[in-house]
Amino acid sequence: MADPLISTEGVSLRFRRSEDAVLDDVSMHVREGELVALIGPSGCGKSTLLNLVSGLLAPSAGRVQVREGVRMAYVFQSPRLLPWRTLQGNVEFGLEGRGLGRGALAERAQRALAQVNLTGHERKYPQELSGGMQQRAALARGLAIDPAVCLLDEPFGALDALTRSYLQDELMEIVRGTGMTTMLVTHDIDEALLLADRVIVMTARPGRLSAEVDVPFGAERSSDALLGRADYAELRRQLREMLRPQAAIAA
Amino acid sequence: MSESTVASPSPSPQAARPAAGVPGGRRPGRRRLRTALIAASVVGLFLLWLWGSTFFADYILPPPAMVWESFVSMLERGTWGTEILATLQHMFTAFALILAVGLPAGIVVGRLWMAEDLSRVPLIFLQTVPTVVLIALALIFIGTNSTGVVAVTVASGLPYFMLNVIQGTKAIDYDLMEMGRAYGAGERRLMRSIVLPSVVPYFLAGGRVTLGVAWQVTLFGEYLMGTPGVGFQISSAIKLLDTASVFAWGLSIVALTIAFEYGIFRPVEAYLTRHTRRG
Repeated sequence: MADPLISTEGVSLRFRRSEDAVLDDVSMHVREGELVALIGPSGCGKSTLLNLVSGLLAPSAGRVQVREGVRMAYVFQSPRLLPWRTLQGNVEFGLEGRGLGRGALAERAQRALAQVNLTGHERKYPQELSGGMQQRAALARGLAIDPAVCLLDEPFGALDALTRSYLQDELMEIVRGTGMTTMLVTHDIDEALLLADRVIVMTARPGRLSAEVDVPFGAERSSDALLGRADYAELRRQLREMLRPQAAIAA
Repeated sequence: MSESTVASPSPSPQAARPAAGVPGGRRPGRRRLRTALIAASVVGLFLLWLWGSTFFADYILPPPAMVWESFVSMLERGTWGTEILATLQHMFTAFALILAVGLPAGIVVGRLWMAEDLSRVPLIFLQTVPTVVLIALALIFIGTNSTGVVAVTVASGLPYFMLNVIQGTKAIDYDLMEMGRAYGAGERRLMRSIVLPSVVPYFLAGGRVTLGVAWQVTLFGEYLMGTPGVGFQISSAIKLLDTASVFAWGLSIVALTIAFEYGIFRPVEAYLTRHTRRG
């Protein structure tokens, strides 16, 4: 099998010498085209792991490896759009600094906005749009750079349940359509089972990997179809058990 | 540092903006009434002046007509244009210097704790030292020329502007900076796309306060240093008990200040904060 696109070996991170490690001895990998969900209680360092993979943080010990020349999209829990730029300007942001002309920038931004169904809103400012639309624009900003890897840090966390469920289906379609390798951080078991090929379970203080679960539902799935399956209910029960606060202590 | 020197702009771009011109006038009927009240206050003041001037000698409270005559005569002799121009040159040279120095310096101080510690005492010093002392020092070091007036104005206005820029730089949304880095932005792109736009509301608030300070200090400096300009004209006029001229100069400055506010400041502000208006 080919080298994994992303891998970490014995990665630890502590912000200050005196403090407990945020991440302790984390080794994992993500294969090309795979969608891996990182799930765990808050404070387990799952978002920190994404920051290490993206290069925003450097590990205190161990190694983070990402295949060379890979472009990474990053979608955060809040949209993090620039309020002084239109949607198009925001989507162009990730493309700037590559020496593209104005026309090429605009064209790519418009294509990315079309991918997330925001055509017609190019000239609007973020604060004119709903939270769901802002988050779709943030996704478009990521898609515009034509990424091989997509890092999603609880991208639906701040949305209402209804918007979240539609956006999950939309995202699924986009990710499967482009074949992006994706790391999804979440604390929502259903979201992980709906979207991921593999779920990595983490524990908190210090952040460690505690289990790995393959999700056998294939690429074509929807929340409606999953709900009727007995193996889905069983997998969901198992994950709930693993994430139960006492389970970490008993282990 | 005292909090009152830092004008605080609305923290979020969503914050409601007062309607232009008349504050808080939402219903058209109420709005018209408020405009009428403002007009009434102007007329009332004028009438009070007109009435009051009948009780006092001309050199104490000159009647409006006399002030108008004085203004027209200065205009005809060319004094008005020359002196106003000299004062504006002093003030805008100082204002431009304050912006040009204060913006980069404020951003550096706001982002680097070492620069903050180094600048803390000089800024407190400039803020607290009496303007009269700065003027006295300028007389010794520079002399009674325009450079002296400009130097005093810069020294007095700079801390007000810088403190606003520093506060704006500290208020930059760190999440946006992280997003910028995640999308490969270097320092230059972060500066242009995130830092500078974030500072704009503070830049405007600081600019407004500073412009007010610059007016005061420039006139004060001209008055005390005897440098050509409106301030010196006022000091000469009052020595001759030509109170009508003092009134004419004073009202001219008020008119100019209002003209700059609506002619320059408001349009610039509207342009720089255009994204905060909901479509």
